[in-house]
Amino acid sequence: MNATACYFVNWMEPENTAIARGLRRHDPDLLDRLIEQYQHRLLRYLIYLTGSRETAEDLFQETWLRVLERGGQYDGKHNFSTWLFAVARNLTIDLQRRKKPESLDTPRGEDEAPLDIADSGQPSALDVVAQRELSERIMAGLACIPVDYRETIVLRFHEGLSLEEIATVTGAPVGTVKSRLYRGLNALMSRLKGVQG
Amino acid sequence: MTHDSHQQAQELIACRGDGLTEPQQTWLQVHLAACDFCREYAEAADQLVRALRSVPITADPALVRTTQLRARLHAHKLQQQQERMWLVWISCAVVTLSTALTTPLLWRSFAWLGEWSRVSSPVWQVGFVMFWILPALAASVLFAARGTYLGSRNGTPQG
Repeated sequence: MNATACYFVNWMEPENTAIARGLRRHDPDLLDRLIEQYQHRLLRYLIYLTGSRETAEDLFQETWLRVLERGGQYDGKHNFSTWLFAVARNLTIDLQRRKKPESLDTPRGEDEAPLDIADSGQPSALDVVAQRELSERIMAGLACIPVDYRETIVLRFHEGLSLEEIATVTGAPVGTVKSRLYRGLNALMSRLKGVQG
Repeated sequence: MTHDSHQQAQELIACRGDGLTEPQQTWLQVHLAACDFCREYAEAADQLVRALRSVPITADPALVRTTQLRARLHAHKLQQQQERMWLVWISCAVVTLSTALTTPLLWRSFAWLGEWSRVSSPVWQVGFVMFWILPALAASVLFAARGTYLGSRNGTPQG
């Protein structure tokens, strides 16, 4: 580990410990700050995971309530974001089990609607339209690959989690995470040929 | 170059960043310098990741405010529950202490009462035991009834 990484880890540890202590106390001010801090990352992850903004927004709220209830289980030794994503993932699995007897491992079919990214609150302009078109194609591509691959790609490339952190969130071995990353990237690239650039 | 080496390079490309060891990074650099096919693959992967990161998904401020409000209310409720649990623990400690202190006195009182009323020892001893356990039994029945009532009102608790 290089000096910068060491400094970063040392700096993060007291921060995580403070979060763990605050969660045990059910500190509402800490919750406000965490919701503010992780709002976009958590919602983005849930949208990619569920494929629906509406469901993701419901799960977003439920995740924070679950964080409050289970806050005592967070030990402060790992990054808070890793634990937060794991909580959100478990809630998503619970919801999908209640809705239909399919697991999260079930890939979305080709005929299903693409991931819904509506209401991003952006002003309308030509470049925004172009960006939106690109986004929609990427989301459509993501919607067509198996959810395990999609989740791994999002956690890695969007949220910047390490392979070990992704393994913690998904409960899969690091080797499986690597394989999902490679297969997912391949699947997405073959679907989005010509999108990039 | 073999098919296996291309596949190995592509697997390593997907895990670039903190996912590769020093020898793997060195091997990949050497391979990419010599292989046009894998270099193009790496560039396409980079472009895809950039495009992926450019997808704008933001949380609605109203959603954030609602969540903060719900979380605040829930935190308040949990804090109250926690305080009530402290009261329960303190009460338990007080009851245990007072029990330990008063049992010998109570035993002597029952013995004196038995002697005074001229009843046999087993009778006043049974009386002592009943006096001892009946309040606890009554409290248990009441708590169980309350728990059943709340359970049927709120439905099955979340797992």
